[in-house]
Amino acid sequence: MFDLLLRNGVENFIGVPDSTMKHFISQGLKKKKILITTREEEAIGIAAGMSLSKQCSLVFMQNAGFANSISTITSLVQLYEFPIIFLIGWRGYLKNDAPEHYKIGRIQPDLIKLIGLDSKTVTESNWKECCQWAMNKINHSIPCALILRREFHD
Amino acid sequence: MIRKEAIKIAFDAAANSPIISANGYISRDLFETNDKETNFYMIGSMGLSSSIALGVALKNPRKRVYVFDGDGNILMNLGSLTTIGKLKPKNLIHLVFDNQSHESTGGQPSNTKNIDIYKIAKSCNYKSFKTTSKVGLKKILSKTKNIGGPVMILIKINKGGKPGKRIIHSPPTIKKRFSQKLNKQR
Repeated sequence: MFDLLLRNGVENFIGVPDSTMKHFISQGLKKKKILITTREEEAIGIAAGMSLSKQCSLVFMQNAGFANSISTITSLVQLYEFPIIFLIGWRGYLKNDAPEHYKIGRIQPDLIKLIGLDSKTVTESNWKECCQWAMNKINHSIPCALILRREFHD
Repeated sequence: MIRKEAIKIAFDAAANSPIISANGYISRDLFETNDKETNFYMIGSMGLSSSIALGVALKNPRKRVYVFDGDGNILMNLGSLTTIGKLKPKNLIHLVFDNQSHESTGGQPSNTKNIDIYKIAKSCNYKSFKTTSKVGLKKILSKTKNIGGPVMILIKINKGGKPGKRIIHSPPTIKKRFSQKLNKQR
């Protein structure tokens, strides 16, 4: 998935790591394309700055970080119309995930819908289409999110 | 020195360089001082001006990129100093207009009365400067024109003065004209 997005013109991958996407991040680190920030909102700010230079950026985070970022998504990304792809790890998707993820995990699909951020849930079979869909959104200057479900336990 | 006076001096030094200005009175004062396409005014998303400027600076290494930040703003995104300090963009000039308060929301105190941003920036690999006067600010601005960043200029200012007028451009317009100018000048 990382390689496909890179090939399709995503130039910057910025964010806060999440175990759900550790392989994605490892691949990016191998290619020296990953910038790790202290908070998700900081990553969104940097991506916005890069987008001012006409560069396509992806911001990755866990859904706990997505909840942190709602105000930044609405008052920066959506208000100024910054085309940014969000890759969000969905903790709390499994009922028996760690307790801190229960609540946000349960309301996550509603939260994304409420703020009007277009999203698709990535699976084993649709990931290529999802990447194409996201690139198409960005080419039309619309921000969007790809959701990765956490379907395993540590 | 009050904020508007400091912003005028800083604006003159920045010339045609891109400026990312923090939300609240800082952007409003900059807008009133001189509205230019190279100004990126933030409305909302408090704290993120230095992050946006970092993104611009990394992708435009030949341009000096200025951040007009506030004390309340940088305190909200202190992590940004560590990311900037790690990446060390030579072309980033980070100005903090420090009135030790949240003046835009009614003058409530911030923590910078007791905490020195200058020292924090220094320990984050910034070249740090500090001033309380107009003459001092002018001197530092001209000195830092020839040194590699990241540069932090902490400007201790007094509260007061009439706030600048509200920004009349829509956020997508602010973005579009800034981006067009930035990419034209490349």
